[in-house]
Amino acid sequence: MFDGLIGFANSIWHFARPEVLLFALGGSLVGLIIGALPGLTATMGVALMTTLTLKLPSDQALLILICTYVGAIYGGSRSAILLNIPGTPASAASCLDGHALAKQGLAGRAMGIATSGSILGTWIGMFFLALFTPILGEMALKFGAYEFFWLAVFGVVISGNLTGTDPLKGWIAGFIGLFIAAIGQEGMYAYDRFTFGVHDLSGGIALIPALVGVFGFAEVLNVMKDKPQKFIINTYDTVIPKIRDVLQYWRTVIRSGLIGTFIGIVPGVGEDVAAWSSYAAARRASKEKEKFGKGSVEGLMAAETGDNACVPGAVIPVLTLAVPGSAPAAVLLAAMLIHGVRPGPLIMVENPTFVYDVVAMMFFASIGILIYGLVLTRLLVKILLVPRALIMPVIFVLCAVGSYAIASRPFDILVMLVFGILGLVMRSMNYPMAPLVLGIVLGDLLDKSLRRGLSLSDGDLTPFFGRPIAFVLFLLVLLTLLMNIPVARRVMGQGTALLLRPFRRA
Amino acid sequence: MDQTEAPPAAAEPAVSPRVDFWSSFVWIALGLAIAAISLGMDRMERFQASIYTAPGLVPGLLGLAIALMGAILLLRAVNAGALRPRRRRPLVLVEHWRLIFSLGLSLVYALVIVASALPFWLVTAVYVTTFVIVFQYAERRASRQVPRGIVVALVHGLLAGLVIQYAFEELFLVRLP
Repeated sequence: MFDGLIGFANSIWHFARPEVLLFALGGSLVGLIIGALPGLTATMGVALMTTLTLKLPSDQALLILICTYVGAIYGGSRSAILLNIPGTPASAASCLDGHALAKQGLAGRAMGIATSGSILGTWIGMFFLALFTPILGEMALKFGAYEFFWLAVFGVVISGNLTGTDPLKGWIAGFIGLFIAAIGQEGMYAYDRFTFGVHDLSGGIALIPALVGVFGFAEVLNVMKDKPQKFIINTYDTVIPKIRDVLQYWRTVIRSGLIGTFIGIVPGVGEDVAAWSSYAAARRASKEKEKFGKGSVEGLMAAETGDNACVPGAVIPVLTLAVPGSAPAAVLLAAMLIHGVRPGPLIMVENPTFVYDVVAMMFFASIGILIYGLVLTRLLVKILLVPRALIMPVIFVLCAVGSYAIASRPFDILVMLVFGILGLVMRSMNYPMAPLVLGIVLGDLLDKSLRRGLSLSDGDLTPFFGRPIAFVLFLLVLLTLLMNIPVARRVMGQGTALLLRPFRRA
Repeated sequence: MDQTEAPPAAAEPAVSPRVDFWSSFVWIALGLAIAAISLGMDRMERFQASIYTAPGLVPGLLGLAIALMGAILLLRAVNAGALRPRRRRPLVLVEHWRLIFSLGLSLVYALVIVASALPFWLVTAVYVTTFVIVFQYAERRASRQVPRGIVVALVHGLLAGLVIQYAFEELFLVRLP
């Protein structure tokens, strides 16, 4: 515990330089603006900022990216409260009570609740990031090819299950992502797969251009295809967070923080699920259930705490297993690799101070959102009203140039275009994009782990099911799949009821 | 300005079973094609490599999984009424002009910066200006501000082109295409 505190204090001291603090504030501001503008997501923000920070030292670049990520998740609440449109999918739950409060003339109070909830959520997540990362890192050292194989399958299956409305489509998207990762030279024999003689494909599909396409170009097209809406923003009261709101709902804050962090740890699930789960849990436990959806302070607090707690939570598997907890965390993982940081089971051995550096980055991000939450309200309201026709072409230019900037390959611009169109088409048919991204990230791990595992056991499948961690992961995959088959779900429900009957009687 | 009530959640549009029906064929065909290509890949037997490390093993399994899920989607779509006769709604391209124009213009822009020797700032300025003029034209015409709209679009486009070129080339040291 004390080692962690000392590590955190050292990291804060390491970053306490004016130019670094300026980067943190800049990153938070960019994130806040991107998050507040409907149509621009945190994933796109972090992906675009990755391309803009390539030449910076790794710690400063990652500080900017983490501040952008935290800022974007917080920023989404602004448009949710003021316009009833979630700035990012993570803020969808905040619309329900946030906008209801705004309609009652309490938009300022709602923004204050969002600010306090987001900061507290980030701090709870930070605490568990510092606490769990060394523990999980140690556990991850026990992972071999068998465990990593099931972890990759579990990530894609659970992400497909939870991020959309149709698990089957989520799984298809996830497996397409796994296949995309197989394109190019494979790692064991340098054999070209699915390149069809195209030299540029030998290097594989780079993650950042693909992500910029799916979350950037596709978003530009998605926003522009609909007629623009016009809004009025009502006058609002003070945005200073009230201590009373926090003290009155401290249980909700802690519960939502825990739920958000836990959901963040689950691979590929993300902030929107964290916000909805926290909101649902708060509603179930609330004494004022009838106020939910009609301007409940507790509901808004739960959603905002949950989604922001998810951010540090999503970074925990990035650091310990090199598996992203959410779509923006996938970009963060790619950015870490670009900057020479090797996240994974050995992080606590090779680079133990880095974990506390990340905690310190989250802390600076929370200070950034506190400052902007208090002083930037009017400017943000003005930004929200800027016509999309002015913003979107500039975003597209950044998507094109950003994709090119990573490796100075014109081919990456084409990758961005193809993935943008693919993303638009698949989303129009309700295929979620988070599993696709997670599939691209986890494809290499799955490929190597399965082949290495089979080679080690000489084709014997027993180790895939016989080792404790591998067996637990396999059970989780199986349960997730069975839960989506109506007959199996009914049987499992009846079985559970049968098992619990003696306890109910007692 | 008038206020439009938007749905609170990012609600996903309903997808007709017929769309799922046709998309399932794409997945089945893609999955089977992946499996077939994987089967034909070198198994590295001349290196005395284990068959389990063959490069085609994992993509082959992934292809089969995609085809299987496509088949489940197909059955589900048929059960949901994908084959029931229904009135066909003709596709009116004009209704989708916003998407077609933004997609077309963006593709042309990207291909021009990749394939031509024109200065980046100029191509970007033309792209941004055209985009803004076209998408703001109706609103500007309604408020009788077309010349002002063109000036705003020109300034915006030139600023975007010059600032992005300066930022990438001078600050981020990236040689633009």
